[in-house]
Amino acid sequence: MRSAQPVERTGDVPRRVGNEVSIVLGQRKLLQRFGPGLMHAFIFWGFLVLAPTILIALIGVVDTHATLPWLGHQGWYALLVDVFAVLVLVGVLAELWIRKVQRPRRFEGSHLGEADLILGLIATIASTLLLWHATRIALGLNEWPRAWSPAAHALSHLFGRDEATRVLERVFVWAHVLTILAFLAYLPRSKHLHIGTAAVNVWFGRTGASGRLEPLRFDDEEVPEEEIRFGAGTATDLTWKQVLDTFSCTECGRCQDACPAFATGKALSPKLLMMGLRDQILAQDSSPLVPNAVTDDVVWDCVTCGACVEACPVSIEHVDHIVDLRRHLVMVESSFPAEAEPMLRDVERASNPWGKAQSERADWASELGVRVLEPGDRPPEYLYWVGCASSFDERARRTAESTAKLLNAAGVDFAILGPREACTGDPARRMGNEYVFQAFAEQNVATLNEAGVTKIVANCPHCFNTLANEYPDFGGRYEVIHHSELLSRLVREGKLSPQRSESRSITYHDSCYLARHNDVLGPPRELVSAVGQPVEMKRSGKRTFCCGAGGAHMWMEERGDAINAERVREAAGTGADTLAVACPFCTVMLDDGVQSGGQDLRVLDVATLLAEAIDAG
Amino acid sequence: MNVLICVKRVPLTGGKIVLTEDEQAISTRHLGFTISPHEECGVEEAVRLIEAGGGSSTVLTLGPPEAEEQLRDMMAIGVDRAVHLVTDGGEWDPQATAAAIVDVIRSEGERYDLILFGNESADAGNFQVAIRVAHALGLPCVTGVKGLSVDGGSVRLEQEVAGGRDVYVVPMPAVVTVKEGLNLPRYPSVPGRLRAKRKPLATSTPARPDPRLEMVRLVLPPGSGKQAEVLGHGAEAAPAVVGVLRELGLL
Amino acid sequence: MTVLVFVENIDDELSQQALTFARGLGDELHAVLIGAPAVPAGLAAYGVSIAHLAAGLDAYAPAAWAQAIVELVARTTPAAVMGPGTDRGNEVLAHIAAKTDQPMAANCMSIAAGDPASLVRVRWGGSLLEEARLHGSPMLLTVAPHAVAAEMVAEPADLVLEEFTPSVSNVDLIARVCERASAVSAGVSLTDADVVVSGGRGVGSAAGFAVIEELAELLGGAVGCSRAVTSAGWRPHTDQVGQTGTKISPEIYIACGISGATQHMAGCKGAKKLLAINPDGEASIFASADYAVIGDLHEVVPAISAEIRKARSA
Repeated sequence: MRSAQPVERTGDVPRRVGNEVSIVLGQRKLLQRFGPGLMHAFIFWGFLVLAPTILIALIGVVDTHATLPWLGHQGWYALLVDVFAVLVLVGVLAELWIRKVQRPRRFEGSHLGEADLILGLIATIASTLLLWHATRIALGLNEWPRAWSPAAHALSHLFGRDEATRVLERVFVWAHVLTILAFLAYLPRSKHLHIGTAAVNVWFGRTGASGRLEPLRFDDEEVPEEEIRFGAGTATDLTWKQVLDTFSCTECGRCQDACPAFATGKALSPKLLMMGLRDQILAQDSSPLVPNAVTDDVVWDCVTCGACVEACPVSIEHVDHIVDLRRHLVMVESSFPAEAEPMLRDVERASNPWGKAQSERADWASELGVRVLEPGDRPPEYLYWVGCASSFDERARRTAESTAKLLNAAGVDFAILGPREACTGDPARRMGNEYVFQAFAEQNVATLNEAGVTKIVANCPHCFNTLANEYPDFGGRYEVIHHSELLSRLVREGKLSPQRSESRSITYHDSCYLARHNDVLGPPRELVSAVGQPVEMKRSGKRTFCCGAGGAHMWMEERGDAINAERVREAAGTGADTLAVACPFCTVMLDDGVQSGGQDLRVLDVATLLAEAIDAG
Repeated sequence: MNVLICVKRVPLTGGKIVLTEDEQAISTRHLGFTISPHEECGVEEAVRLIEAGGGSSTVLTLGPPEAEEQLRDMMAIGVDRAVHLVTDGGEWDPQATAAAIVDVIRSEGERYDLILFGNESADAGNFQVAIRVAHALGLPCVTGVKGLSVDGGSVRLEQEVAGGRDVYVVPMPAVVTVKEGLNLPRYPSVPGRLRAKRKPLATSTPARPDPRLEMVRLVLPPGSGKQAEVLGHGAEAAPAVVGVLRELGLL
Repeated sequence: MTVLVFVENIDDELSQQALTFARGLGDELHAVLIGAPAVPAGLAAYGVSIAHLAAGLDAYAPAAWAQAIVELVARTTPAAVMGPGTDRGNEVLAHIAAKTDQPMAANCMSIAAGDPASLVRVRWGGSLLEEARLHGSPMLLTVAPHAVAAEMVAEPADLVLEEFTPSVSNVDLIARVCERASAVSAGVSLTDADVVVSGGRGVGSAAGFAVIEELAELLGGAVGCSRAVTSAGWRPHTDQVGQTGTKISPEIYIACGISGATQHMAGCKGAKKLLAINPDGEASIFASADYAVIGDLHEVVPAISAEIRKARSA
């Protein structure tokens, strides 16, 4: 890790402390799966509580009658130790049952033998501790009443007050200490290293929005050209956080379970990705990471939805690895799926991934009384960033039309940039072409700053994410909100009055870039509730299931089963008649899904739903 | 081997063309720029030839100062150096263009084994600059090439014609115009782009002679006046479509 | 006024159009044919009075063929020399222009004699027109495909044949066709097909072309595609219809999921009828279409194929 690449992760200390408390101490992410999470919590908290008993045992090995000063004499501590030793055993047994009997899919590909050994060692440590205490109670060596160590006390009935027990007392304490030492020796070589690295990895996790990618620098004069970092080609190109990520992986597979690509039969498993990278790092293998640690398919299957990152209990940020691998492939090797080439060329030359003429970008607005901001014009209160999809795709265009009509009806002071609005660069960036992305970031920031824009409303979560979280790295600091946030506020303020239809059952699909990467969950739901009867899908909120268009997949072909078909089946399963979305990509992907799946669902953006409900009123 | 490829900066026009008020040019506000598709294949071929056989490649353009962008893009793909004949962006007719190119080739004293052009430029489409350059330099010229291979001091060229391909074998030096389909142009790498910023670019400002094919003004073709007959929406339009096919006697 | 027309192939529509065009300029029409195997019938039907046959130049060699015509021009002094706007027509006329240091206007829609002559020619494959003046003599030009419809004369004159043997230097013969390789692709050729069915970005993948191929096969037509499709690697460049691809002139062109960029439209101007299938009602292709279906090609095209099968079995 000393030779790894740098990355800035030291600011925002209060948030980091908060993460340590909630994620590590509070086991928040693990508890997303309550059963296994609780079992792990027992073992983890048990580890924390029982840690001083290692010292007590070491002292006990040397001198039967000695113990830790003060703590060794506290009855309440003895009780805690007793309770947690039992909980640890309960946890281990439960986890063995899960792994051996239940056998969930997330363990596919993990090193199960290693896990069994570790669980066995932990069980041995906890049970030898209890047995040691039991023999001490039998020998009258303990100092507090039985109520303080109920479990050990119960076990003590197995032993008489005799020479055999005296021997066993020594046997158990030695067994306990030796097992701990063996465990400590084994630790660095196993995935159990996570007990050292996890807390550290959580500390250094992102404190800002997860949707923000780390920029690369191409123009640092002090860096000679051969040393410019173009993403990750070999193991030494990885940043220290990325390396730490691979060493923190416990192969639990929660990421694999959450991954929409894996769920639809593709090669990508975020867990196997981490394991593959870790293996290459450990082997000090300097050959290219793609295809040696990770195959091409795996890199391109990812939709950057972040479900893996959200699920990971130790704050591994898998998306960063994928994007850095892509950056090297695209920017240095020019190796990427051929069908994405027109999109990359079009973004660069025509300023939008559809390759349409920018002069036609505001055509959708021509008859809607929308102000197009020209250089020198008075800046509006809100700059409505329409995005390429809503400008050029016929299904997504309805969202722009509805939004414009609603904003006009509510008397909001807004304008669009029209032809001067170039692609935010998100698809290029997610593909790995950081260079092209930065050119557009700089261009758009210049346009926005010159125009005096302070507030931006965007209907596309990808634009929203880039404008809000990524443009500040390029000098663009604006107050950015999603159109659902503005529209729901207007409804609350009574400026827009939709007619609610009780009989209309609507299920809302959270967009990954809105809900997971940016925590916007409530406002679109407010709009849905204002229009009809909401019904939630199981995978909703921060656990939403991607529509399949992220990570530039809107322009790439999909192998295996379709992610959007999977999601549409889930939506139809709620019995709703309408599938509400808040993203132009989700609109297109889910509508495609409905067209090919034949479900009886209308797929509409929340703005269009709102507009229809107002017209009806 | 020494290869010269000549390119022209043209706008990406999209779905409709809009003219400037004075009708002298296309309005390029909000338009992106590129080089003609035939020329992209020419540049790719030049780079491949040097990669395979060693030597040096040069890209040349006659165009406004902004055309430097295209020259740097071509050097990002791998061309070694660039020559920019800088104009004010006004029209140069084919004879003037060819003469300026011939002048700079002569004054450079470079001996090019192959001089490549696109078959015709995407915008003006005059089909003659390469032929005029070849004639002035006394070199053989083959056009519309879709297959090219160098063998010793000759080059074997294939041209698509009805029913097959015509083959020419000419000794170098020679002038060749290529068509899209000759190869698949590569996507530039970022290290390539960064290096291109520092590759040598020679500029000169030729004087424009009076045009002999003189553009007076540009005009949009008259609309066909067609109003498309909407046969229907979605799959339900199928019977109507079949009706039309039957009417046209194509069923 | 005498006009000399380089006739590439009297049986080809474009050479016939060139002769028709020439009649609009001059009253005495000469034709020059080079490397023609026999005297083609039909020259007189298009108004030619004198046909000059160049002997001794069988293989195509543009500079040599041009030299032959230059010699002829020196002898017969026509006011204008023109050819069809084909690859060879443009090439030969360009060589003539280079040799005589005269301007040449390629792909003209119309021309009026004068000092200078004024003409209208095609730019951007037909999406834009240029009004220009030609400061040269004789007028050198090629005729834009479909600028005029080929029309025979009411009373063909008696055709006079004049053979000549041009003296051509070895230098002019360096670039000449030495071999004919046969065509690689099988199936209906794009240029000959009566029906062409094309797919654009909207097809979505290489496999998605199956529905397009199905319809093309049912109609005995060829499959085409847009430039975006070739760049995405879904179809080979030989299928590409457009300004830099193949220019087609079928009875009907069925464009599926193609938005109508000028680049593409330049390739299908010759189509007699255009049916556009696109989910976007605002797509620019509809402005040039004869028939429109607004919908997703993945639904519409299979439905059409099914309807055709139904109609045929009935």
